[in-house]
Amino acid sequence: MKLLSRTFKLFTGAALTTIAALVLLPLSNVFAADPLKIGFIYPSPAGDVGWAHELDRGRMAIEEAFGDRVESMVVENIPEGPDAARIMNQFAAQGAKMIMIGSFGYMNDGLKLAKRYPDIKIIHASGYKLADNMGNFQTRNYESSYVAGIAAGHVTKTNTVGMVAAYAIPEVVGMINAFTLGAQTVNPDINIKVVWLNSWFDPSKAQESARSLIAQQSDVIFSIYQDTPSVVTVAEEEGVYVVNTSSDMKKYAPNKLLVSLQINWAEHFIEQTQAVLDGNFKGTAFWGGMADSAISMESWSDDLSAEQVAGLEATVAEIAAGNFHPFTGPVVNQEGDLMIKDGEVLSDGDLLSINWLVKGIDTKLPK
Amino acid sequence: MIDLLTFLLAGTLAAATPLIFAAMGELVVEKSGVLNLSIEGMMATGAATGFVVATLTGSPIAGFAAAALASMLLSMVFAALTLGFLANQVASGLAIGILGLGVSVLIGKNYEGTTIKPLAKIDLGFLSDLPIIGKTLFGQDPMIYVGIASVVLITWILNRTKLGLIIRAVGESPVAANSIGYPVIIVRFCAIAFGGAMAGIGGAHFTLSYTPLWAEGLIAGRGWIVVALVVFGTWKAPRIAMGAYLFGAISLLELFVQGQGFAIPSQLMSAMPYIITIVVLAIISRDGRIIKLNHPASLGVPYNRSE
Repeated sequence: MKLLSRTFKLFTGAALTTIAALVLLPLSNVFAADPLKIGFIYPSPAGDVGWAHELDRGRMAIEEAFGDRVESMVVENIPEGPDAARIMNQFAAQGAKMIMIGSFGYMNDGLKLAKRYPDIKIIHASGYKLADNMGNFQTRNYESSYVAGIAAGHVTKTNTVGMVAAYAIPEVVGMINAFTLGAQTVNPDINIKVVWLNSWFDPSKAQESARSLIAQQSDVIFSIYQDTPSVVTVAEEEGVYVVNTSSDMKKYAPNKLLVSLQINWAEHFIEQTQAVLDGNFKGTAFWGGMADSAISMESWSDDLSAEQVAGLEATVAEIAAGNFHPFTGPVVNQEGDLMIKDGEVLSDGDLLSINWLVKGIDTKLPK
Repeated sequence: MIDLLTFLLAGTLAAATPLIFAAMGELVVEKSGVLNLSIEGMMATGAATGFVVATLTGSPIAGFAAAALASMLLSMVFAALTLGFLANQVASGLAIGILGLGVSVLIGKNYEGTTIKPLAKIDLGFLSDLPIIGKTLFGQDPMIYVGIASVVLITWILNRTKLGLIIRAVGESPVAANSIGYPVIIVRFCAIAFGGAMAGIGGAHFTLSYTPLWAEGLIAGRGWIVVALVVFGTWKAPRIAMGAYLFGAISLLELFVQGQGFAIPSQLMSAMPYIITIVVLAIISRDGRIIKLNHPASLGVPYNRSE
């Protein structure tokens, strides 16, 4: 009997809410300027630094730029898979007309959603599938990696750079190659060692990897896509230089941060939101580099001389102006094959699927 | 800069210590006849609680104490389910483990990605300055020695004291233990609480010393290795500790080998610590009699007094 009455209460409650909603819903349409609801879904928590933090900075830029005209909803730390699909559908049910999906593995679920709801516009981080209402975005981090490589070439005394990388995906391989090519311009005999974590997230292993690279004479560490300051703090503690990606981590290594490869989504996010508001959104592939201010070099170390920084900034300007491409031939791979002919430039297509390492890197690619 | 041997030796001790704490706790729990699979969750809860409390109070000791308390509370939920309601231990353990991971996220929410000053290393003057062994043996953080001491202590208690005998009796045959007047439920409850506290301390060592930062998912599966260590170490504390050191050493060696550029697939290298640790422990313990002798006969079987 008790159970019955509770069910009954629940039922009446639900019924009343539904009726209230049915009455109130049309009313809300009276106010013409409904804000554009934008859903954001991140693969990791939007902490102090890192990938999700940068996506969230992009979201805040949208809010700042459009004020009352937009309303954002955020769900953090959603693993790729069924959970992500559920959150996306929930966004759709809550009336989101634009959704930012922040991880490579959200791609197929995003595409399904795009097909089911043609009126919802989707922007996807680092994927490759497009639809009329689904675009993607990523950064040309190889550009900033190249410049950081030159800086590393300047400061290294042991002629050894160690890199901590998650997986050997083309984006990471491109960054490792560009860093090496940059370092070789000032220091032709530099040794490059890489440790593959084979895990997207394991700060302890990242720290131990950094320590092992330092124990093997590396005096510059390149921390690739580590979302926590794990590697950066070890470098500071052990007194070696460190370059990190995504966010500026100066505060975690005030003395030994060589430079941070900063990502800036603000401009692209605002552009896309404007397009949705104007009704002329079109799914495109955005690959932002120095020229688009999508990436920048932050917090140059004070240990670099004024001349060196000026030289580095000049390289940034050359890349941004399109006068120089980090992958300009001749470039030779580890096996000694000429991969880019003299004077030629690696095409975007080849860069997006790069699966070889340049000569001068000790470690082999995991096959 | 650090030299290679110090990196490997000192690093091994540091990497193994969180595992040793948690494994010593789980050993006592399993010896009393209870299988608690929630180590991963309890370690995570301890890691988050220890980090937050140490950050707020500035005292690592308070951090460790709070971590032990938090994980102990969590383990008591497990105890209530399995001892009180006679729920299935495997299922309850898994559920509490998942709950623990969730709780850790909740506790650490506002501290995601932040760092903390690691636990100070001891300094014994000239001893700590000795080449290689100085930093390894005399220049670690104090909890590493506590971890080693706990192995000795647990071995002694389980094998040489009346308390150990009672715990083992309860784990072998709760009915017999009860008939000669030992309070089976109370013994198991205390064992579970102790196991929780130790898992919490292990987790806190993770965030306060080994990887001095908090990030969700930091434990990254190490709680499961603890469970494996206890079983493959055939419920003998020294073997379990050896397994933990071996695991730590191989995981560091793997990173070193990668940096050297040997043409071994890194995926295989990443799997090595798990494979080698388990294979070695399995080989050492291949004697069926020893396994039978040490395996708590009533492990995982709920005890119902009224039956």
